[in-house]
Order: sequence, then C-alpha cells, then structure tokens
Amino acid sequence: MTNIHVPDDALISVEKLQMHFPIKKGFLGREQGAVKAVDDVSFYIRKGETLGIVGESGSGKSTTARALLRAYEPTGGKIRFKDPDGVWHDLTHKSEAEMRKLRQHMQMIFQDPYASLNPRMTLLQLVSEPLVNIGVTNKSELEDRVADLLSKVGLRPENMSRYPHAFSGGQRQRIGIARALALNPTFIAADESVSALDVSIAAQTINLLQDLQEQMGLTYLFITHDLSMVEHISDRIGVMYAGRLVEVADTASFFEQPLHPYSEALLAAIPIPDPKRARAKKRGLVKGEVADPANLPVGCAFASRCPHASELCHMSNPELTETAGGRFVRCHHSADLKLQGANYDQ
Amino acid sequence: MQDETILEITDLNICFEMREGTVNAVNGVNFSVKPGEVLGIVGESGSGKSLSARSIMNLLPRNATVTNGSVKFRKSDGEVVDILAEKRESRKMRELRGGHVGMIFQEPMTALSPVHSIGKQIMTTLSLHTDLSKKAQVERAADLLAMVQMPKPMEMLKKYPHQLSGGMRQRAMIAMALSCNPSLLLADEPTTALDVTTEAQILDLIMSLQDELNMAVIFITHNFGVVAEIADRVSVMYLGNAVETAAVDDIFYNPKHPYTRALLQSIPRLDGQKRRRLQTIEGMVPDPFNLPTGCVFHTRCAEKMAGKCTSQIPELTYFENDQMARCHLHQA
Ligand SMILES: Nc1ncnc2c1ncn2[C@@H]1O[C@H](COP(=O)(O)OP(=O)(O)OP(=O)(O)O)[C@@H](O)[C@H]1O
Ligand SMILES: Nc1ncnc2c1ncn2[C@@H]1O[C@H](COP(=O)(O)OP(=O)(O)OP(=O)(O)O)[C@@H](O)[C@H]1O
Ligand code: SF4
Ligand code: SF4
Ligand SMILES: [Mg+2]
Ligand SMILES: [Mg+2]
Repeated sequence: MTNIHVPDDALISVEKLQMHFPIKKGFLGREQGAVKAVDDVSFYIRKGETLGIVGESGSGKSTTARALLRAYEPTGGKIRFKDPDGVWHDLTHKSEAEMRKLRQHMQMIFQDPYASLNPRMTLLQLVSEPLVNIGVTNKSELEDRVADLLSKVGLRPENMSRYPHAFSGGQRQRIGIARALALNPTFIAADESVSALDVSIAAQTINLLQDLQEQMGLTYLFITHDLSMVEHISDRIGVMYAGRLVEVADTASFFEQPLHPYSEALLAAIPIPDPKRARAKKRGLVKGEVADPANLPVGCAFASRCPHASELCHMSNPELTETAGGRFVRCHHSADLKLQGANYDQ
Repeated sequence: MQDETILEITDLNICFEMREGTVNAVNGVNFSVKPGEVLGIVGESGSGKSLSARSIMNLLPRNATVTNGSVKFRKSDGEVVDILAEKRESRKMRELRGGHVGMIFQEPMTALSPVHSIGKQIMTTLSLHTDLSKKAQVERAADLLAMVQMPKPMEMLKKYPHQLSGGMRQRAMIAMALSCNPSLLLADEPTTALDVTTEAQILDLIMSLQDELNMAVIFITHNFGVVAEIADRVSVMYLGNAVETAAVDDIFYNPKHPYTRALLQSIPRLDGQKRRRLQTIEGMVPDPFNLPTGCVFHTRCAEKMAGKCTSQIPELTYFENDQMARCHLHQA
C-alpha cells in the first residue's frame, strides 16, 4: 500500500499492524489456520487529538488497542510511540522491562468497571497500585497522590478506604480513570468505557475526559459503538471491518459524506432518540452475513453485503489509499460513489 | 392482579446486607405489562433494573433479600403464579423459566454453556418443556436458528459458542429464549455490546416475533434511540425506584418527573456541532448506604422544594393515558 505520511506532531503511529491468533485443533494442538483479528491496520494519532474507532462487532477494535499497549504481541507491523522527551520508540521490539517504563505514558480504560477492579482492594490500594509498582512506598505520599487523583475525577478523597462494591457503575468508571491517570500518561485508550453507563453518567464521564485532555494535553483512542458519542468527542474517526481499517476521516466530513459503503450502512443504522422520527424512518438494515476473520474472502471482505460490489471486488482486496482530500478509504469504487451522510437530530 | 395484564410487580423491595451496612437496591418498584406490549426500562446505572428483571425469573443473587412485594405472572392457561412465593428451583419455576418466560442477558457467554453445541443447548430446553421427539427437536432447533437469521442453520447447530461472533451468539441466545414460544421475553441490554447495524437487525427480529407471537417484552437499555424505536411504554428508574412510567411518546414529549427530563437532556445528539459540553445532572449519585430522606432525587433535583421534598416521600401521581410519576410537583 501507499505508505501513510505521519505528521510531525504525531504521538503514535501504527504501520501495517497485524494480530493473528492461531486456531489450534486436536490433542496435539496443531495449528489449523488463524483468526485474522487485525490485518494491515495503519494510522497515526496526533498529540492532543482524539481518534474515534467504530465498526462491526468482532472487527478487531479491542485487539488493536491491546496490541498498541503491547498487551498482545503483534504478529506483524510496527507501532511507534513518542515519549514526553520527544524520542520515538519502536514498541514492537521492546523487551517487557523496557515496555514497563513506557507504559507509564500509555494507559487503557476498560469497558467493564465491575470486572476490572479487584473487589478485595480499597480505593486507596486500587488507585495507588500503579504508583507502588514503580517504587513509591511512602504511605503519606501515596495518600496525598490518591486524594489528588480522586478529586480530579470527582470522587470524595475521604472515601478512599472503601471497597469498589460500595460505588455505582459510574463511580467505578471514575476509579478506573483515576488509576489510569496515576502515572501521568500522555496517551489513553478508552475501550467502550462509557457504554454500560446511563446517559447522564456517560455525559459526566465524557466531560471529564475532555477536561483532562484540555488540562493535561492527553491523546485518546476512543472505541465505541455509539456514533453520536463518537461524533461529539472525536477529531477524526476510523472505521473497522473484518480486521481492517476501511476508512479514516475527520469527523465532520465523515458524517457529512462517508466514502466507504460500510460506513454509509453504519450511519444509516444510528438509532434516533425521538419516537416520531424513529417511526417515520426505519433504520437501515445490512443484508447478509458478517465476515469470518478465520476465513476471509480473497476480495473485499464487505463484497457479499455491499450494494456496489463488482466482479473486481470479489477478486481483489482493495488497499487503504489516500484521497485528494486527505482522507483514507479502502474501496475499489469509492471515487465513483456518492454515499449518504448521517441524518442529524434536530 | 388486573385481568388484562400478564405480569404485575407490586411494591418490590430488595436489599443486601453488606459489611458496611444495608444496601437498599430496590425500594418499592411497581409496574405491569400487558400481552404483546413492549415495556422499556431505562434509568441510572445501578438503579435496580437488572435486579427487577431477575426477580421475574426468581433468579436473584443468593445474598439478596426480598423484604416486601410480589411478582405475579399469568400463564397462557390463565393460572396466576406468585413467583416470589415459589422456591427458586420448584417444578413450577422450572416450567416458567424457558417455557413461558424467556430471558436474554447482556453477556451471552454467561448464559450459554461453553462445552455444549448451540444445537444441544436448544434441544435441552425443548426436551424440558415439550414432548417433541428427538428428530422433531433437531428440526425445531434448526427452524429457530433460521428464524433468527443464522446462515446455514443445520451446520450452526453443531457450533460451540466460542466459534461464533458476538452478534451471532446473541442471536443464538435469542433463539434459545424463544424456543418454547414464551409469552414474556426479558431482554437485559441485549444489544449494548453490538454495532448499530447488528443491533438494528436484532431489534427488527425481536419486533417481528413479538408481533407474530403476541409476545410481551421487557427491554432494559441505556439507549434512548433504542427505546424510541421499540417501546410502547417506558419506566424510568432512579435509586431503586420507578420514578415515572408512561407511553413512549409521553416520556419523550411530555415527561413529568424532573429526573426523566434531566436524562433526556443528557443524550448526546447527532448535530454536526463541535465540542459542545454535554449536559449532565448536577451532583453525584448518593451513597447506597445512606439513601436520601424524602424524595430520593432531591439531592440533585433542579426543581426541589425545600422542606417538602427533603422530608416526605412523594406518592405516585396519576395522569392521563396511564402516565404516573413520583414527584411532589404534581401533588395538590
Ligand atoms: N485471544 C484471542 N484468541 C482468539 N481469537 C480472538 C482473541 N481475541 C479476539 N479474538 C477474535 O478476534 C476478532 C476481533 O476481536 P475484537 O475483540 O478485537 O473485536 P472488537 O472489534 O473489539 O469487537 P466488539 O465490538 O464486539 O468488542 C474476533 O473474531 C474475536 O473472536
Ligand atoms: N450481588 C450483589 N451484592 C451486593 N449488591 C448488589 C448485588 N447485585 C446488585 N447489587 C446492587 O444493587 C443495585 C442494583 O443493581 P442492578 O444490577 O439491578 O442495577 P442496574 O439498574 O441493572 O444497573 P446497570 O445499568 O449498571 O446494569 C446496585 O447498586 C448494585 O450495587
Ligand atoms: S471494494 Fe467493492 S465490495 Fe468492497 S466496499 Fe468497495 S464497492 Fe463495496
Ligand atoms: S419530589 Fe421534589 S425533589 Fe423529588 S423530583 Fe419532585 S420536585 Fe424534585
Ligand atoms: Mg471490543
Ligand atoms: Mg443491569
């Protein structure tokens, strides 16, 4: 593919990232092919920017985020990260010890605030754990840092001796954020971090993330299924389908006019929070079956469901290419298509 | 129990005794569902939505105590079952679960067994509730998978849950929940983890089946777009209370409770406008060990009336079109 030009103010760049999981069968565990969870994914994120990632369930969004933080060992490609001193590091060739240092700067907030917090640890223990791990042992220093972090995320410091079950889902999400902030990271990957919350607490959490971004210049990778949320928070949006990025664009242009047929299908399926309009306009339905990452077709993975598919689409897999307008799309025919944008709410 | 209802929950109270004190998780919830009706339940995270749904299956967590209230279900033969008076594993409860009431959970992996094929699991449910022959069970299982739009149903019967994508597992669970033509389907955030195109397919499916089988549905979600699309009536929950219940249009266009109004304003709108701050509700959700006196929402309510709201628990006020809200603003 044409190499993506990485701008000078990038904080992260990912080139041809690949994460294949072996499929093992039988008693001997012999390898029988692979789940191509992430295949040929390239993008960059600028410092202080939010890149939103949306896409099909099972398209490799979480796997991409985990591979970025090297929670998985990628099977191919290159991940580069610029540390706060401006030095680029190639994460794919770092030892675990070297990674541990760099992870101070890169954190992840998980989807499930219930499962990701150890119920036997107090708030103090939970939030101070990352600090203890890097060798801070002074008790009063730890307490001060935790108190500071808790107030930053809107939790009462006097509650630091409580256990997580005494907190609501939204509060637990904040505990997770406080933990992620403990080491002053520059980059946070938030994977479905508000999808289990009610709209008001989700809004509080999003506002908090945006405030922290302004105060501390944070850079976000924000994964979600909620397109209204992604429109609100992201500077640019990446769309994944069957392990690949199929489109990357700035937010406004993307919602105005998507360039990939799958993006168009996504926008047509956004639920409308207004019963009269919802009754008047049925959500778009995509026909056909989801691509199987263990058994991808030779051509475009969306071809069996795409209304614009041609013979070429079934025979050859398109590359991610840059358009004249500086957007990226992976489709043989995107230049000739005029696709529908989103229906805005009044 | 009223004649035309299939389910009636009256003054349900559920609490947990914890080391730090008592958590009153559900505090007097009331709602009822008619045959063929879709009741949406929305509300605060941790307000007792899932617990209320689980009480209908008599599947509350073991450390939960029901301190008051009843859950009554009317079977298709007319018999009314007092669910909370039954033992969790009584014959009647086993007959209801899966037979008359189907349930879809948020996370399909907790409901599906990892060691049995999808086909085996559907057939187990069928053998519990019907007297179909083995051969008829296989056919029925394949029909169900076809009905939920699974490709190649006969091959799918042999697959194990881990071999399916999230959306396909969710459909397998719906097929299982529907296997015995339940008259009530409980769906606890069945599409929250799915992309919008898969979600649209699954809602479409639930609605067409609901129509075909005249099945009642209780649908729990945080997504007001989903509520607008599928619900006939909506209950809004806050801190263990159903604070407002009304027809879906009244909830959106004529909400009576300040919490409902505030929630509606927090929905992120798709409006092409950049970086406006999202509206939120002032303050924090109260500590579950120290519930507020008076109206549970008074610590955050923009319309709070000093004195009354902080000391007296508001009664339910009834409006036209079966709308009801628990708020002093509407009491004479
Ligand atoms: N550890 C693993 N071993 C084998 N396969 C895996 C593993 N983790 C993920 N997969 C597979 O890789 C694919 C991508 O999964 P991933 O969780 O990244 O998807 P996702 O885009 O985050 O989906 P969702 O929106 O449902 O969260 C799926 O087919 C999944 O089954
Ligand atoms: N097993 C348990 N032990 C102690 N407390 C519990 C238990 N299960 C639930 N609770 C408490 O009961 C309250 C209601 O829980 P429930 O799961 O019904 O909330 P919900 O409305 O479904 O929330 P969400 O939108 O986050 O799913 C919560 O505050 C929770 O902490
Ligand atoms: S490459 Fe062809 S099949 Fe794929 S999205 Fe484009 S038009 Fe559709
Ligand atoms: S009773 Fe009072 S505090 Fe409660 S919602 Fe109504 S106005 Fe607000
Ligand atoms: Mg994921
Ligand atoms: Mg719940």
